[in-house]
Amino acid sequence: MGNNIKTVFYRNLWGENPVIRQILGICSALAVTNRTVNSLVMGVGLMFVTAFSSLTLSALREHIPDRIRMIVQTLVIAAYVIIVDIFIKANLPEISKALGPYVGLIITNCIIMGRAEAFARKNPPVISFFDGLFAGIGYTVILLGIALIREILGFGTVFGFNINFIDFTKWTIMVVPPGAFFMIAIFIWIAAGIQNRRLKKKEAK
Amino acid sequence: MKKGYIYTIVFIVAVSVVFSGVLAVVNAVYKNKIEINELAAEKVSILYSMGIEAENAVAAFDEKVTQKDIGEISLYSAVNDDGIEVYSIPFEGSGLWGTIRGYVSVDVNLSTITGIAFTEQNETPGLGGRIEEEWYKEQFRGISIDNALVYGEDTGIDAITGATSTSNAVLQIMNNFINTTLKELEEADGK
Repeated sequence: MGNNIKTVFYRNLWGENPVIRQILGICSALAVTNRTVNSLVMGVGLMFVTAFSSLTLSALREHIPDRIRMIVQTLVIAAYVIIVDIFIKANLPEISKALGPYVGLIITNCIIMGRAEAFARKNPPVISFFDGLFAGIGYTVILLGIALIREILGFGTVFGFNINFIDFTKWTIMVVPPGAFFMIAIFIWIAAGIQNRRLKKKEAK
Repeated sequence: MKKGYIYTIVFIVAVSVVFSGVLAVVNAVYKNKIEINELAAEKVSILYSMGIEAENAVAAFDEKVTQKDIGEISLYSAVNDDGIEVYSIPFEGSGLWGTIRGYVSVDVNLSTITGIAFTEQNETPGLGGRIEEEWYKEQFRGISIDNALVYGEDTGIDAITGATSTSNAVLQIMNNFINTTLKELEEADGK
């Protein structure tokens, strides 16, 4: 498959979406998706880190010795995550408090290293930057989808605004991590279902 | 690609130096701002625990609050919005996931808790992390400390749904605080 911006976009948002197709980044997807605000900040942070670490690693790809490439990847990723953390602490102290340790944990998100290994290592910097950015968007979109359902059912709010007009009973299970397991599984199920149907159609042709 | 050992070592050292350098610069640029933020957040917490509302927390803090040492305990004292003279005393204890720190305010006779504020906690966001929410903290205003604190309708203090362990930890920290720090303060104060 060629690597122009369009195919990279399609692949990261649907075909190989990190969360629902590759099942990466599940830990944070379970942890921060009970509030849409937290999911959004987490997603934006991840977008920034994946995009710039892919850009940097791709620019250095000719020079990185193979046997230490993972050390270099981790180092570059960690540096960007710390920059994000410092930036949020200095400029958005309240959000920094709400996210607590999760910003630092972006380092351990498999999506970033996955993109570095699978894409940035073999492709030029600009397209790698977009690949990282779109992978981050793919992650954010799914997180927001899950968070929206969990927050509405669990708290009766959206982005912290109360929308519980008919005063339904809130689902405590949506607030706690098991709720995220159910939601992610349903998302994966739907995505796999659609994808399988498409494959069958192709085969029939 | 295959590269020699010398190249590999030089490369990793160079990359480490460059990125550490970048981080050092970013850190130096923002260090002051972060410290100011943290100090301001501390002052906001102390004022909140005392029950003083202010537009500009830092200015109000500098105007109204004085720092005191009674015995071994370092605390802040001020007259709050209800005209009660209160002490705000730092506390810490174990939550579910990590240390919870904050300030408890008591009136100077050490008979009533007038407020509570948290400055540091690592509880689960959306569950235990909700101890930072207004409704939870407001429950600790004007509570008599004759008896140990418990949750329930009788005391008017509610625990957080889905965060039983954190809720219990907070009460335990408070009861512990009443039994140790406040006792010490009482003796040192000679009241």
